[in-house]
Amino acid sequence: MYLFTGKILRNRQLTSDIRHLRISAPADFCQQSAPGQFIMLSCNDGLFDPLLKRPFGILNRGENWFEVVIKEVGKGSLQLGEMKEGAIVSGHGPLGNGYPEINSDLNKDDLTPLILVAGGMGIASIASCLLFSLKSSIKAGSRVLLYGAANLDELLLLDEMKESAPDIRIETITDDGSSGRQGWVTELLETELQQYPEALVFACGPEPMLINVQQVLRKVSARGYLSLENRMACGFGVCLGCVQDVTGIDDDGTVESAKVCTQGPVFPADKVVF
Amino acid sequence: MVDLRVEIVPGLVLKNPVLSASGTFGYGREYASYFDVAKLGAVITKGLSLKPKIGNPGVRITETACGMLNAIGLENIGIDSFLANELPVLQNLGADVIVNIFGNNQNDYAAIAAKLDQVEGIRALEINISCPNVKAGGIQFGTDPESAARLVAAVRKATTLPLITKLSPNVTDITAVARAVADAGSDALSLINTLLGLAIDLENKRPVLGNVTGGLSGPAIKPVALRMVYQVVQAVSIPVIGIGGIASAEDALEFLMVGAAAIEIGTANFINPQIGIEIVEGIRDYLDQRKYLKITDFIGCLQS
Ligand SMILES: Cc1cc2nc3c(=O)[nH]c(=O)nc-3n(C[C@H](O)[C@H](O)[C@H](O)COP(=O)(O)OP(=O)(O)OC[C@H]3O[C@@H](n4cnc5c(N)ncnc54)[C@H](O)[C@@H]3O)c2cc1C
Ligand SMILES: Cc1cc2nc3c(=O)[nH]c(=O)nc-3n(C[C@H](O)[C@H](O)[C@H](O)COP(=O)(O)O)c2cc1C
Ligand code: FES
Repeated sequence: MYLFTGKILRNRQLTSDIRHLRISAPADFCQQSAPGQFIMLSCNDGLFDPLLKRPFGILNRGENWFEVVIKEVGKGSLQLGEMKEGAIVSGHGPLGNGYPEINSDLNKDDLTPLILVAGGMGIASIASCLLFSLKSSIKAGSRVLLYGAANLDELLLLDEMKESAPDIRIETITDDGSSGRQGWVTELLETELQQYPEALVFACGPEPMLINVQQVLRKVSARGYLSLENRMACGFGVCLGCVQDVTGIDDDGTVESAKVCTQGPVFPADKVVF
Repeated sequence: MVDLRVEIVPGLVLKNPVLSASGTFGYGREYASYFDVAKLGAVITKGLSLKPKIGNPGVRITETACGMLNAIGLENIGIDSFLANELPVLQNLGADVIVNIFGNNQNDYAAIAAKLDQVEGIRALEINISCPNVKAGGIQFGTDPESAARLVAAVRKATTLPLITKLSPNVTDITAVARAVADAGSDALSLINTLLGLAIDLENKRPVLGNVTGGLSGPAIKPVALRMVYQVVQAVSIPVIGIGGIASAEDALEFLMVGAAAIEIGTANFINPQIGIEIVEGIRDYLDQRKYLKITDFIGCLQS
């Protein structure tokens, strides 16, 4: 974990309220970041409004930079999103446990298909599995990204993901039918799991979507991981603001509360109690 | 170099006056990745109860202008698990440990104090009679001078450890509670706990927090905290530990100037996990530059 200040190297507008930022960072931070981890960011150290740092998924990283996509929903995200190139931000990370490394999870002869499921801004977390130059961690069998968003404009980073993972199949679905089918991404997941019931699923998105993903997985007893985005004050396990009910991480089935920031944000799908 | 040691009560000398506030420092171990927690005056633990406690459901934190509301609800692992799994870690780190305690009723408070009485490596107890986020215990004792005094007297009987009683600002006259618990045998006071507040989600016509109300902390509350510390310092003869919105060495020095024997850092730890040690160093630099030999010469130096 590092506390550092970085400079905005690039600020690209993806939609009217979504920004793609590249920020400079110490090499150690970049090296240690893994897909699914997050960083706490602020751009007004010492001014107290906004007060707390805000959590964002680490989308991508190079030797001495990392990237985030930020949807402007309130004070903190708006201020960060509007930062100009050269401006200074302070960061704290990498934090949390990312997605499991597929290689270590798998027997090499048996390349389990990997299904990535993203809803809305959940793409920020899911895309890290494809964009990170750590490509070896996703040498799974066939890979597919199921991606749902409100409309065509809100489908982000498609070119970047295709470029970084050319073999991936991407299926989109939108609330209004402006790209792909009209409907929910969990409908695509059901179809996909009929074909690949042995697949491993990673999902990130709004809570109602994750609840549906969990139900779909349960129906066919498929394995998966969910990345949660509970509100956070500290991001490193000391405030208890972010807790989520889970069934015994220690496997005894009792419900306990887990800190999403340090025990997650990625949890085995069957453990999360919504 | 200035001597930063402060004596809170005879037998409780801290290496400097900078403490971590309960509920913002976990059980200490998380901070060890950021700085040497043994360099703090003391680490004050998350509030502990006899049995583990689940906190409040729903949204627990929300930010407000220059502050935050929390309704954690005193979630904690329980005193037994603390003693078995967390205290040894803190001791290994070399930290001076003050345990923050609460209960549902007077017997709970006394029982937990008795349990900790014999434990090696605990420097003092901080009695939380001021949490606004739980129905039983906490604030119900802290808003009435008589119940507060009875509670402190019961805890006093149960332990020989130094007792620091943590006061609530959610009262008309904080000096009345302060005097009552001082008379009942509290060795020191700490103040303030959070101020009761409310945040509304305009779009959904609902309170933001699952618990409806929450406790306000952070820079927004500093002037209120400073005023209360100022009043209580004049009202009692026991040491007062200042808490509320401290986010820099300058903030800490203001509390010390007003007469606080020590200070606690809360919300600021979330923003910068190293703030504790930075404030210790900031205080030292400030006093060195002004040629103070002992911090105790600075404490209470406010001119009227
Ligand atoms: C682990 C993690 C990773 C995240 N990754 C990203 C990311 O990559 N890109 C991105 O745009 N956002 C991400 N978020 C959400 C982001 O942190 C919030 O949108 C942001 O904190 C809101 O701050 P604000 O000051 O703009 O809004 P506030 O003024 O604090 O709140 C405005 C609105 O945002 C909602 N909100 C506040 N906090 C959260 C939260 N934690 N999750 C969802 N909604 C929230 C509130 O309900 C409120 O309606 C992530 C959250 C977590 C916990
Ligand atoms: C998330 C959170 C949890 C807290 N939990 C406790 C607690 O368990 N016991 C207690 O006595 N005070 C608790 N407090 C109160 C703080 O110790 C402190 O009194 C208060 O936050 C004011 O200081 P600050 O403005 O520096 O944060 C908590 C505060 C916060 C923000
Ligand atoms: S955000 Fe503070 S404990 Fe998780």
